[in-house]
Amino acid sequence: MFEPEGRFYLRIDWTLLLLIVSITGLGLLNLYSTSTSFSAPLFTQQIYWIFLGFSAFFITATIDYRFYDRVANVLYILGIISLVAVLVLGRMFFGSRRWLNIGPLVIQPSELMKIIIILTMAHYVHVSPPKTDEGRSLQELVVPAFLVGLPALLILIQPDLGTMMILLLVFFSIMFLLKMRIRSLLTLAGSALVLLPLIWTFVLQEYQKSRILVFLDPASDPTGEGWHIRQSMFAIGSGQLWGKGFMAGTQSQYQFLPAQWSDFPFAVWAEEWGLLGSVLLCSLYFVLVTWALRMAVTTRDRFASVICLGVGALYFWHTIINIGMVMGLLPIVGVTLPLFSHGGSSMLTFMIAAGLLMSVSARRHTL
Amino acid sequence: MRRLVLSDDSEFGRKYRYAFVFVVVVFLILVGRLVQLQVVYGAEYRELSRSNFLQQISLEAPRGLILDRRGNVLVKNRVAYNVFITPRFFNAKAFRKLQDLIQIPQVDLDYIQSKILLAEGRKRGFSLLALRDVPKEWVLILESNRDHMPGLDISTQEKRQYPNGPMASHVLGFVGEVAAEDLARHPLEGYRERDWIGKYGLELKLEASLRGRRGSLWRVRDARGRVKTGPDALRWLPRPFHVPPQPGYNVVTTLDADVQRAVELVMAPFESGSAVLMEVDTGKIVSYVSKPAYDPNELSGRLTSVRASELYNHPLHPMLDKVVQGTYFPGSTYKVVSAIAAIEENLAEFEEYHLCKGWYEYGRSSSFRCTHAHGLMNLESGIVSSCNVYFYMLSERVGMDRMARYARLLGFGTPPGLELNHEKSGFIPTKQWYAQKYQEGFRIGHTLNSGIGQGDVKASILQVAQAYAAIANRGSVMQPQIVERITDYRGVTVQELAPVVKRRLDFKPETWDLLSRALDGVVNNPEGTAYKSRLAHLRVAGKTGTAQVRAMRREPGQDPEESRWRNQDHAWFVGYSPVDRPQVVVVVLVEHGGFASKMSVAPAMAILDEYFKINGAREGATP
Repeated sequence: MFEPEGRFYLRIDWTLLLLIVSITGLGLLNLYSTSTSFSAPLFTQQIYWIFLGFSAFFITATIDYRFYDRVANVLYILGIISLVAVLVLGRMFFGSRRWLNIGPLVIQPSELMKIIIILTMAHYVHVSPPKTDEGRSLQELVVPAFLVGLPALLILIQPDLGTMMILLLVFFSIMFLLKMRIRSLLTLAGSALVLLPLIWTFVLQEYQKSRILVFLDPASDPTGEGWHIRQSMFAIGSGQLWGKGFMAGTQSQYQFLPAQWSDFPFAVWAEEWGLLGSVLLCSLYFVLVTWALRMAVTTRDRFASVICLGVGALYFWHTIINIGMVMGLLPIVGVTLPLFSHGGSSMLTFMIAAGLLMSVSARRHTL
Repeated sequence: MRRLVLSDDSEFGRKYRYAFVFVVVVFLILVGRLVQLQVVYGAEYRELSRSNFLQQISLEAPRGLILDRRGNVLVKNRVAYNVFITPRFFNAKAFRKLQDLIQIPQVDLDYIQSKILLAEGRKRGFSLLALRDVPKEWVLILESNRDHMPGLDISTQEKRQYPNGPMASHVLGFVGEVAAEDLARHPLEGYRERDWIGKYGLELKLEASLRGRRGSLWRVRDARGRVKTGPDALRWLPRPFHVPPQPGYNVVTTLDADVQRAVELVMAPFESGSAVLMEVDTGKIVSYVSKPAYDPNELSGRLTSVRASELYNHPLHPMLDKVVQGTYFPGSTYKVVSAIAAIEENLAEFEEYHLCKGWYEYGRSSSFRCTHAHGLMNLESGIVSSCNVYFYMLSERVGMDRMARYARLLGFGTPPGLELNHEKSGFIPTKQWYAQKYQEGFRIGHTLNSGIGQGDVKASILQVAQAYAAIANRGSVMQPQIVERITDYRGVTVQELAPVVKRRLDFKPETWDLLSRALDGVVNNPEGTAYKSRLAHLRVAGKTGTAQVRAMRREPGQDPEESRWRNQDHAWFVGYSPVDRPQVVVVVLVEHGGFASKMSVAPAMAILDEYFKINGAREGATP
């Protein structure tokens, strides 16, 4: 009925490319600022990952996105298999099984699942349009709910609450934005409300609960979890309007920030570049997210549209949760800042996600 | 330019607006929070982040030294090492390492475990005192393993040291850690917990001079407690980041360490008593001994409550300064008072004789006895032989209140003016006082007892020294002086303390002449009470005395020997030398020494002998 098989010409989306390069560059600059006071080769590692990430970006962007539609099912099955493999074969680190060794490679299947679930949703939405004009009913949501629920559950077992949450948030974002019956929407929202206390009692570990409690009152425990939030807020606040200057942030240079490369790079940035730098960085993410949203409206087909939605949602939630967390607006969860945080898996995931956007964006202009 | 194809069948089309508004709102919340943190509370957070890494270290000022008149050090400082722990950085691994390295006493281990490792709240970020005054070897071991024990700091502290132990300990006093009541007493003087403060003696009296002023040093520490140096770190330091401490002033006393040491040696055989050696013309105290003494090194440390109560409840009162705080019946040393009064008021002729039959007849009582029947006595021989009967007669003639007036002129009944250790003023009774005190009122018997320094007369040995110095220098009542000058730490004089004449006594020349002759006779006349202990090569004048001790009943279980000793009278001797041109006056009081001529004369003579020997040797050495 749709599937515009028409011809198009490739046009590089320079805005998108510029956004990706800017964010990655600023992240690298930020990492350089703090890495000099450490012996670990963080900076060179990151350069290597960025190189890898851009390769993934270009490869993903070069392939016609319709190819992903065809392989979505296969990818989904591979994803599930690797998640199961992690639980069976994975190595234990810091109390959870997240990593899988394949030869010399160490991969984190839950990260890749974020991409796969976007493709899976897109594929599902594409092949099964709403049955009536009113929109999708609840029954029509059973299948996608199952498709997301299975990997979410596997990831929860690892346990990796942050990733599971992101998975669910991306799923809900896509669902809410689809054409749905009002009743279905309300039921969905209601069930989320019912789920919350259940998750609190049955799913959350003690340390996770304490994180949330501390978030509600950071002063209650200045040494444990609360200490981290407070130190992060000291860093951001003390940046003031203009910041303390490049490589001059005391909170970061003197290591008062916890996990400052992976989870707290925004605090480092805000301390050294002040309100100006922070707003600039937030704007880049804002433009990127709205750019993806806008693209979702202007693509040629439903599959591409959902990809844009999913990638936008992925960037959006990661950014909001990470920045909200370091500013003391949300409890501490291990969620990275897209393209900005130090770390290979995260870099690869967001580069591939951006590659999907590019692949869509470059092919939306018909001849 | 081709238009973009808007895919109408994209289900998402209509909701795009809502999604966009949602994203805008969420990002605005983020920006709002940024403004709140960085602009509204920015200055506050800037300060909080500074307090994270800036640490002010207090630099203690070394306390001033106390020296003798020739520059010998009597009190100095040594370095003590204290170990501090910041709980936030000091993990279990570090604690194990610490235990591996040094043998910590169990008490301290318990303290560290309960009070430091489990400290809560803000305290976790503070550097808390864990071990005091650790041995130097420990310091070396800990310093070389510093990297394995984050949060462990070693800091030095000056500790008071009294190299001569108990020598002159009542003059020097001791220090202690600032207590809550000290902080309350000096609220604005910047005392802090664990500061030293003078508690007794000169340490207390000259606290303000000795103390100095604390300095401070700011430094940068990272989150793991490591100190940062270099230009990056220096940039954050407030200016001035280093305020050097000002050392306390040194106090030069009038004591002479060599003489003091000799005097201590002379007094060594006596369990309890006191001695003071003073220059008659200046009132400068050369030697000052109160026995038994305490060790100020012990008192300036951490005294256990058991040991403290042992010292403070000791039957011989080591914590009492018997030179100024002990008051006794002056006994026969007081006889000069009625003698002076009689001559000055023309109440006695030098050649007027009175018969001593061994007792004095007054009323029906015969309790006013003499040591033995002296026969005919006049003013001079009455002093020489210390005849009580003669002085009963004389004091009855002079009367209570006139006697009191002359006693006060000589310095009795008022604080001598040394202003050390809460000096006592002793007591000189008057008729009025007896009238108020006793229902039957004043009686002549009170006068008779006062005349021989008993009854209700009380004096400290410093008062006796002061009075006899005035007799020796013919009329200048000198304020006793213990501090010669105050200098800064390089030795430059800050304050010079000149001798103070408290009062000039304009007595008749024959008064001084008679006293001089009579006191000379006490030692050098075969009839004199101190004749047996005179020295062949040193002419001394003086007066013996016996202070009666009120008879005490023997406590059950008390050693009979001890009980006998306790009921013995105190033995006095006050003397000066040379007789024709007196330089120093010495007073010795041996508690429970029994008869003066036996017990206190010999040590007093020995003290004077040592003094002149030491000074003579010095003069010989320096032409």
